[in-house]
Amino acid sequence: MAQEMIEGINPTRMELLKLKDREKLAVKGHSLLKEKRNALIMEFFNILERVKGSREGVEATLQEAYKDLSDAQMVMGDLAVKKSAMSVKESVNVEIESRSVMGVVVPLIESEIGQKNMVQRGYGFLETSVKLDEAASKFEESIKLIIELAEIEKTIMLLAIEIESTKRRVNALEHIIIPKIENTVKYIEMRLEEMERENFVRLKMIKKTMEME
Amino acid sequence: MKSNVAVMADEDTVIGFRLGGIKEGYPVKNMEEAGKVLEDLINKDFSVIITTEKIGIEFRDTINKLTNERALPMVIEIPDKSGSIKRESDPMSELIKRVIGVEMVK
Repeated sequence: MAQEMIEGINPTRMELLKLKDREKLAVKGHSLLKEKRNALIMEFFNILERVKGSREGVEATLQEAYKDLSDAQMVMGDLAVKKSAMSVKESVNVEIESRSVMGVVVPLIESEIGQKNMVQRGYGFLETSVKLDEAASKFEESIKLIIELAEIEKTIMLLAIEIESTKRRVNALEHIIIPKIENTVKYIEMRLEEMERENFVRLKMIKKTMEME
Repeated sequence: MKSNVAVMADEDTVIGFRLGGIKEGYPVKNMEEAGKVLEDLINKDFSVIITTEKIGIEFRDTINKLTNERALPMVIEIPDKSGSIKRESDPMSELIKRVIGVEMVK
């Protein structure tokens, strides 16, 4: 069987010791990375539970919101809706913290998006329609959902990237680097034993010739 | 860290989100404009950028390049008022499939 080995290694005791150290390190690194990968995948499954259906939820709420908005535009006219929208007070307050999952920094969003009543929104009552109120409250709801979804999707994305690269490293260590080192160690050990035997035979031969003289 | 949410979308969507209370709305009329505004927004201090799926598809590479390494800003794509685009493969489930190795039912 053709075995992969590290090339350009001299079969000496020095190299053997060095290689054994490297092997130990590689095995340790491999088990650590494996743990990291498992932890990341567990985290990933947890977050997958949360993403289920939340995109559909956002889409459904938005559909309703758009419908109410176009109703409002029909009743009041484009311009009036635009004017009212301009006078709505800024109310979306987002605070971003970050949290670290096995070294991956993922965002944590605290959002304060209060559902407001008509008075707090800041547009006048006279020239606005009920549909506008409905649209506004639907949009407030959707914004809340969207921001939640943004956090989840971003987290999934970052975790996925990290999992992929960890997986690749684990596999590289497991299937390429560690076997390569093992084979090289075996080769050096074999060569050293062979050299010992050769030496032994040589000594015997010398002894014999000396005795014959 | 306090930061803001921005909306970049067609005009109606922006108006809708203004009603919902997001003041930072950037209405764009065509894709060229969208590209410029998008780059501006990413370099500003917004933490969440809401955009439409149509714009998202057009600038998929830019968005991926600019947001993959950093935690912020988050770019999230939402359907516009013509409804969500039926895609053959949802990028999210595609990603999950690649990572876990099996199809997950979403």
